[in-house]
Amino acid sequence: MHRLALMLFGSIIVLWLVIMAALMRASALPPEASGVMLAVFEPGTSSDDAFAKLTRAGALPIRETAFGFIWVVSGDPPGLAGKLAAVGAIGTYRELPVSTNIAGCFAWADATVASSLQP
Amino acid sequence: MNDTASKLPWYFTPTVVIVAGCLVAMVNYGVRSSFGLFTGPISEAHAWPRETFSFAMALQNLLWGLATPVAGAVADRYGSAKVLMAGAVFYAAGTLMMAFADSPMALHFGGGLLAGTGIAVSSFSIVMAALGRIVPPEKRSWVFGIVTAASSLGQFIFAPLAAALISAYGWQAALVILAASVLLIVPMAIPLLNQRPAASKLASTETEISMGEAVRSAFTHPSYLLLVAGFFVCGFHLAFILVHLPPYLADHGISKEFAGFAMGAIGLFNVIGAYTSGIIGGKYQKRLSLSLIYLLRGIAITAFVLLPVTPVTTLIFTASFGLLWLSTVPLTMGLVVAMFGTRYMATLYGFVFISHQLGSALGVWLGGKLYDQFGSYDPVWWIGVALSLFAAVVNLPIRETRAPKFATA
Repeated sequence: MHRLALMLFGSIIVLWLVIMAALMRASALPPEASGVMLAVFEPGTSSDDAFAKLTRAGALPIRETAFGFIWVVSGDPPGLAGKLAAVGAIGTYRELPVSTNIAGCFAWADATVASSLQP
Repeated sequence: MNDTASKLPWYFTPTVVIVAGCLVAMVNYGVRSSFGLFTGPISEAHAWPRETFSFAMALQNLLWGLATPVAGAVADRYGSAKVLMAGAVFYAAGTLMMAFADSPMALHFGGGLLAGTGIAVSSFSIVMAALGRIVPPEKRSWVFGIVTAASSLGQFIFAPLAAALISAYGWQAALVILAASVLLIVPMAIPLLNQRPAASKLASTETEISMGEAVRSAFTHPSYLLLVAGFFVCGFHLAFILVHLPPYLADHGISKEFAGFAMGAIGLFNVIGAYTSGIIGGKYQKRLSLSLIYLLRGIAITAFVLLPVTPVTTLIFTASFGLLWLSTVPLTMGLVVAMFGTRYMATLYGFVFISHQLGSALGVWLGGKLYDQFGSYDPVWWIGVALSLFAAVVNLPIRETRAPKFATA
C-alpha cells in the first residue's frame, strides 16, 4: 500500500525534475538578451562579490534572493546576458513568476549540467 | 471474485486504476493551481485591469463549486470515467480559450465558465467516488488519502512547471501546453471505465434508494448538516491564507521571495498531511480526527498571530498548516460514505463541497473587506480561530453510522 504511494510519487517527482531541467535549458537566455533577468553565479559566491560582478557587467540589481549568488537584475543595452556571463555568471534566465529561490535552484542545476557538457 | 479479477485486462487491475485516478487528480488540481501565474501576463498583454482576470477566476471557482454535485450526480448514474473525460474536454477548451481570448467576455466564458465546469466535472471528488467503489472498505480511507495527496502534489509541481513554461515559450504557448496536459485526463480515465455504479451490485449494507430521495434524506440527517457546516470553515481558512497570507507577510517585512518559499512549503507538507489523514481515517474515528484537525488549525493560527512574524515562525506556520491543509478531504469523504454508502457519494460530497466553496468566497472577500476597514488582518485571523473552534465542536457529535434510510433493515 505505502510502497505504491512511494513509488508513484517518487516517479512523478523524478519525471517532473527531468521536465523542469529541459524547460530551464529552453529558457536560458542567449548572450544578446537584455531586460529583467535572473543571474546565477557559482554557489558560494558571496553577496558582495555577486553585487560587484553585476555592477561590472552594467546590470542594475533589482533584488537579491535568499541565496546570495542568485540575483534579479535589469539592464536595457543589448548583450546584458553575455556581459554577465563574461563576469562569471553561470546562467541567465528570464525571471520566473514563482519564488526566485526555487527558480534559482533549477537555474543553478541547469547551468551546472550545461557547463559539465562543454568540452 | 479472484476468477473475475483474473479475467480483467491489465488496465482494469486495482493498482492501475488507483494510479490512473491519482494522475487524473494531480493534473486536474495542478493545472488550475497554476492559473494565478497568468494574471500579470494576460492583463498586460491585453491592457486589461487585473479585475478582468480576477473576475474570470472568481467565476471559475463559483462554477467549480456549483457544478460539483451535478457532476457527481451524473457520475453516480453513468460512471466516473465518462464524466472525467467530458470534464477534461471542457477544462482543456476553457484553458485554450484563455490563451486566445481577445475580449473580457471571451476570457470570462473560457477561463470562468468552461474551465470552472471542466474542473468540477474532472475533479478529484469524482475520482474518489470511483475508487471508493472499487477498493474494499478497509482500504477506502487510504485511497481517499492517496488521491488527495496526488492532488496536492499536482499543486506543488505544476506551479513551477507553468512558470518555467511561461519563461521558455511565453504565456500563450504555456496555456496551450497546459490545455494539452489536461487532455491527458482522457486516456488516464480509461482504467476507470470498468466502474459503473448504476450497473453494479449494491453492497450488502446498502439499500436501493432514488437519487432525489437520497439528497432529501441527507439534508434531513443532522450529522450530514454538521459535516456541511464544518467544511465551510475549511474553505474559509484555505482561501484566506492563499490570497491574504503573502500580503500579510509583506506587511511584517517578510520578503516576497521568502513568502513564495513559505507558500511552497504548504504544498509540500500538504502531500504528507493528506496521505497521513487517509491512513488515520482508516484506523480511528473520522469525526474525532476531523475535529482535532480544526482544533490544531486554531492553535496554529493563534500561535502565528501572537508570536513575532519572522522567517522561522512563518515557515513553522506554513509547514504545520500544510499538514492540515487538505487533510480534511479524505475524512470528510469517508464520513459521507459512512453515513450514506458509496451509491451516491459523489453527489452528496458535491453538496458538502459547495459549502467549502462558499467558505472560500467569504474568506477571500472578508479578508480584503476587514483589512480595508481596520488596516490589519488581525480581525480575520481571529475570526479564523473562532471558526476553527466552531468546526472542532460541530464535528464531534457526528454519528459515523449509516443514516436511517440508507441502512438495511
